[in-house]
Amino acid sequence: MGHPYIPNTREVRGQMLKEIGVASVDELFTDISAKIRLRHKLKLPGPMSELEVKRHVRAILARNRPFTQILSFLGGGVWPHHIPAHVRELVRRSEFLTSYTPYQPEASQGMLQALFEYQSMICELTGMDAANASMYDWATSLGEAALMCARVTGRRKFIVPALINPERFSTLQNYVSGPGLELIKIGYDSRTGQLDVSQLRKELGQDVAGVYVENPSYLGFLETHVDKVAKAAHEAGALFVVGVNPISLGLLRAPGDYGADIVIGEGQPLGNPVSFGGPLLGIFACRDEVKLVRQMPGRLIGMTTALDGRTRGYVMVLQTREQHIRRERATSSICSNEALCGVAAAIYLASLGPRGLRELGEACAASANYAMRKLRAIKDLKVPIFDAPHFNEFTLNCDDVGMSVAKLNAELLKRDIHGGKPLRGEFPELGETSLMCVTELHTKEDIDRLASALAEIAG
Amino acid sequence: MMANYRQARWAGDALLEPLIFELGKPGRVGYTLPPKLHEQLRIPKNLLREKLEIPELSEVEVVRHYTRLSQMNYGVDSGIYPLGSCTMKYNPKVCEELASLEEAAYIHPYQIEDTAQGALELMYRLERCLAEVAGVDRVCLHPSAGAHGEFVAMLLTRAYHKFKGDGNRTQVIVPDSAHGTNPASASMAGYEVVTVPSDARGRVDLKALETAVSERTAALMLTNPNTLGLFEDEILKIAEIVHGVGGLLFYDGANLNGILGKARPGDMGFDIVHFNIHKTFATPHGGGGPGAGPVGVKGKLEKFLPVPVVEFDEKRKRYYLDYDRPHSIGKVKAFYGNFGVLVKAYAYILLMGAEGLAEVSEAAVLNANYIMRKLSGTKGYELKFDSSGPCKHEVVFSVEPLKRETGIGAKDVAKRLLDYGMHAPTYYFPPIVPEALMIEPTESEPREELDRFVGALKVIADEARRSPDKLRSAPTATAVGRLDEVKASREPILRWKMYHKHRA
Amino acid sequence: MRDGLYYSREHEWVKLEGKLARVGVTDYAQKKLGDIVYVEPPEVGKRVSQVKEKKTKDMELGAVESIKAVSIVYSPLSGSVKEVNSALQDRPELVNTSPYDEGWICLLEPSDPEAELKNLMDASKYAEFIKSLK
Repeated sequence: MGHPYIPNTREVRGQMLKEIGVASVDELFTDISAKIRLRHKLKLPGPMSELEVKRHVRAILARNRPFTQILSFLGGGVWPHHIPAHVRELVRRSEFLTSYTPYQPEASQGMLQALFEYQSMICELTGMDAANASMYDWATSLGEAALMCARVTGRRKFIVPALINPERFSTLQNYVSGPGLELIKIGYDSRTGQLDVSQLRKELGQDVAGVYVENPSYLGFLETHVDKVAKAAHEAGALFVVGVNPISLGLLRAPGDYGADIVIGEGQPLGNPVSFGGPLLGIFACRDEVKLVRQMPGRLIGMTTALDGRTRGYVMVLQTREQHIRRERATSSICSNEALCGVAAAIYLASLGPRGLRELGEACAASANYAMRKLRAIKDLKVPIFDAPHFNEFTLNCDDVGMSVAKLNAELLKRDIHGGKPLRGEFPELGETSLMCVTELHTKEDIDRLASALAEIAG
Repeated sequence: MMANYRQARWAGDALLEPLIFELGKPGRVGYTLPPKLHEQLRIPKNLLREKLEIPELSEVEVVRHYTRLSQMNYGVDSGIYPLGSCTMKYNPKVCEELASLEEAAYIHPYQIEDTAQGALELMYRLERCLAEVAGVDRVCLHPSAGAHGEFVAMLLTRAYHKFKGDGNRTQVIVPDSAHGTNPASASMAGYEVVTVPSDARGRVDLKALETAVSERTAALMLTNPNTLGLFEDEILKIAEIVHGVGGLLFYDGANLNGILGKARPGDMGFDIVHFNIHKTFATPHGGGGPGAGPVGVKGKLEKFLPVPVVEFDEKRKRYYLDYDRPHSIGKVKAFYGNFGVLVKAYAYILLMGAEGLAEVSEAAVLNANYIMRKLSGTKGYELKFDSSGPCKHEVVFSVEPLKRETGIGAKDVAKRLLDYGMHAPTYYFPPIVPEALMIEPTESEPREELDRFVGALKVIADEARRSPDKLRSAPTATAVGRLDEVKASREPILRWKMYHKHRA
Repeated sequence: MRDGLYYSREHEWVKLEGKLARVGVTDYAQKKLGDIVYVEPPEVGKRVSQVKEKKTKDMELGAVESIKAVSIVYSPLSGSVKEVNSALQDRPELVNTSPYDEGWICLLEPSDPEAELKNLMDASKYAEFIKSLK
C-alpha cells in the first residue's frame, strides 16, 4: 500500500529503478560506508494514521491549560490579543503557507507584495523609513541592532537600561560576543523607573556605538525622557535604538518622532498567537540613510517595474548585504526568518486601521489603569511600584502582605486565575514583585474577579 | 509538450493588484472591539501620537486583497518546487490542524509549569526523536531557523574550547560549496573563516583539509550530503583529521532528507548537528519562515546548551524547565523555541515513524537519481562532478554547454520553467558550478511529475536553439514578467511613502 | 583597456596624475560584474597598502556591487585616500558606461609609486593577462 505523502509506491519505485538501470534502492546508498550505514530501524514512535496522531497529540496537549480556560494576566514579551478570524484564514492559504523565499519573483508577487505592505506599515507605526521583512524575534533583533550600531559607527560600546528584559539581555550578550562589544547598563530612578539620564551622559563617550531603551519598558512604564536620551546619544555620535511592543504604537508617539535611528520590537501581538512563545516576529526598521539601510540585516523587499518599465512589481533588493552573496562578510547570517508572521501582521494592521489600533491601545491602557486602580486599593499591595504612566503592563508588589509572589500565584491558580510573572529572580532589588499584563481580552468582570481574589488572599 | 500554464494576474490600470495603501476609504473598519472601559489613561499628551497613516479597509476588502495576492503566489501545493537544499516537500495538513488547537496556540511560555505539562512533554518527546534520528545526546529546540542554529552551534563551539582553556581556536573551516549562512554564522560568532576547495569528485579535498587544519581550528562545518547532492564518503577520514587537531565537527542538517534512516550524523563523527525543521520535517516554509533550527549535541557539549532545557523529573513524574545550568551560554532568543512549528514536526514524525522516514529518504534519493539519469546525456546540460556513482536527494547540473551553444544559461532556463507551471530549481548555486541548476525533487513528487520536469528541460534546451528570444523574455505565464532588479537596487523603494515621493 | 594606465591582477587601473593617482576598475571587471547598483567608497584619509596575493583589509578601497555579486576594490598602490568620486553615489552606472573616465573611484596620494609600479602591469601585459583567464 502506498503512503499519502509518498506518491511513488514501491511498485512504481521498482519500475523507476529498472528504467535507470539500478538493481535496487540499496545501490543508491552504497556511497555510505558499511561502518556508518544504519542497519537497524530508528527507535521512533509511529507510524500512525492521521486519526491516531490526532488522538495521541491531543492527549498530550490536553495536559495544557490554555488562557481561554484560566484567566491569565501574563505578558512580558509575548502578549495575548484577539486575532480576527479572517487573519488566521488568510495566513493559512496554502499559496502563502507552502511557498518559500521568493527567489523567482515573477511567480511570487503575492508574498513579495504582502511583505512590502508589512514593511510599509511597520515604517508608519515606528516612524522609520525602511523596515526589513522580519527577524526571528525582539531579542535577536536587539542583538543584530547592537552589531549594526558597531558596524556603522566603528565603535565598541553599547548602552542598555538596567531594567532591560533579561532574556533580551542574555541574547544580546551572545550576539555581541562575536566582535567582543562591551555592554553597559544604566540605572533607573527607584521612584519612577525612568532611565537615569545623568548617568547616561557620564557614560556617553567617543566609544559608544548605540544607546538602547525599551518603550514601554519591560516593566510596563513609559520612558518619558526619551527626547533627552536621543539628544544625548546623538551629541556623543551614538545611534539611538528603541525597542517596542507595536500594539502600543496605535496610541503612543512613534519612536521616529523622538529621534530613534533604529526601531526594533516584537511583532507577535500583531495577528499572531502566543503559541508558548514561538514563532515570534522580530521587527527591525531604520531611518533612510544610506549608511544605515545598507547595514541593515535581513531581507528587504523593494518596488520596481517589469522590464516594460510600467508594470509594477516587487523583488528582494540589496541582497548584497546578505549571506548568500557576502558570505562571511554579510551583515547577518539570517536567511529564513518569520515571513508569514509578518504577513499576518500586515493583514492585522490593515484590518484595524489607524482608528482600530488607537482604540485597541486605549482599551488596553484603560483596562490596565482600571486594574491598577482596583488592585492599588487592596491593603498591602503596591500597584504599580513605579510612579510613571503605564501602557498595558504593570508591576504588583506584595512584600507587605508577607507572601511571596509564587505563593500568591499558587493561591490565584486555585481560583483558576494565573498571576503575573515573578520578577524577584531577575531584579532582586524589587522584592516580591510580579509583572501583570492586561489586554482587550480582559473584561471588567475579569479584572474585578482578580481584584476580589487578591483581596481575599492578601487579607 | 505545451507551456499551457497561466498564473492568476490581478491587474488594474496596467498595474498589478494595488497596494493596500491604494485601497480603502476613510471611515472603513475591518475590525470591531467590545466597548472599552471609561478610565483615565494618565498618559501625558506629549507621549501620545497624533496620526497614523495606515489604510482603512472593511474586512471584505482586506480578504479580497490578500486572497488575490495569494493567487499570484506559487507554493508546494501548486506544483513541483525543486529548490536545491530546501526540501520543499508536501506539508501534511493534519499538522496545521494540531498546531492551531487552543491547547497549542493559546498557552503562554511563562505559565506555571503544572499548567503547561503538555507543551513541555511534546518538546521533550520531540527532542528524544530528533536525538535518535541524528545520533546525538541532547537537542536544543530554541533556534528559529537554520542560520540561527548554525550561530548557536558556533557559540557552543566557542564555549567548549573556552572551557578547556583553549583560547587559541580562532578559525572555522568551511567548504567552498557551503551555503552562505555557514561562513556568515561563523563570522558572526567572531571566527575567522577558512575555505577549503572541493576536489574533482565534488567532495571536500582531503589534502587541502589536512593543510587547513591546525591547533587554531575550532570546527569544520559540513553539509552531508553536500550541496552538490553528493555524499561525503570520506567522512570518517574527515572526522579523524579534524578531531586529530582537537577541533569539533558541525553538521549542517539542510540535506538530512538524503540520509534519513540510512545513516546518522552522530555516527559519522559529528559533535554538533543542526536540523532544518521546515525542510526535513515537513513544516511549511511560509514564504520565508517561520521554521525552526534545533541544534543537537554529543554529551561533552551538553553543559553549554542554552537555557532552559526541558527535563523530566522521574520522581515527581513531571516535566520542568531547567535553568540551573551554570555553564550554559545563556539565551539565544526569547522563550523556548518556535513551539507552533515544533508541534507540526512532532506530528510528522509520528505520522511517518521509523519506516516512513527511511522510505522518505529512499524515495527522495530515487527521485533525484531518476532525474539525474534521465537528464544526463541531454545536450546542453552536464554534470560537472562525479557522475559514476549515485547522487543523494539532489543533483546539480551545469547549463554551461547550452550557454556556450546558444547564449542561454541557467537563469533563462529557470525563468522558462515557470511558464510550464513548475517552480525553478535553485540557480547559480553552489558557486563552484558555473550556470548551476540545483535540483531537489523530494519524495513528494510522483513519477509523472518528474517525467514532465525532465521533459520540460529538454524542450527548453531545444527552444534555446530555435528561439532563444522566447527564453530571454520568459516567463510570460506568471502574474508578472521579468522585473528590473537593477533599478530596484539602484534606487531602492522600500515602503509605500518612498514610492509616493518617487512618483512625485 | 587604456594605454598609459597601470593594472593590477585584481582588475583595478591606476593613472598617475602628478603627485596623485586616480584609481578605478577595468572594463573587464565591470563587464563581469554586470549592472553596478552601488559603489561603497573608501574612507577619505584611509591608509592603504598595495594589493598582494595574500589579501588583507588594509588593501581594500571599498567595494563595487551588482545585484548578484560584491567585488572588493583593492588598492593598486600604497598610500592614502585623498578624494572619492561622489558622482557614483547617485550614478553608480558610470562604472559600467565609463570605467576609465567618469567612473573613477578614488584619488590616492601614493607613498612610493616608483618602487611599486613594477608590481603592476601595463596595458599590453594586462591584455595578455585577461586572455589567459578565459
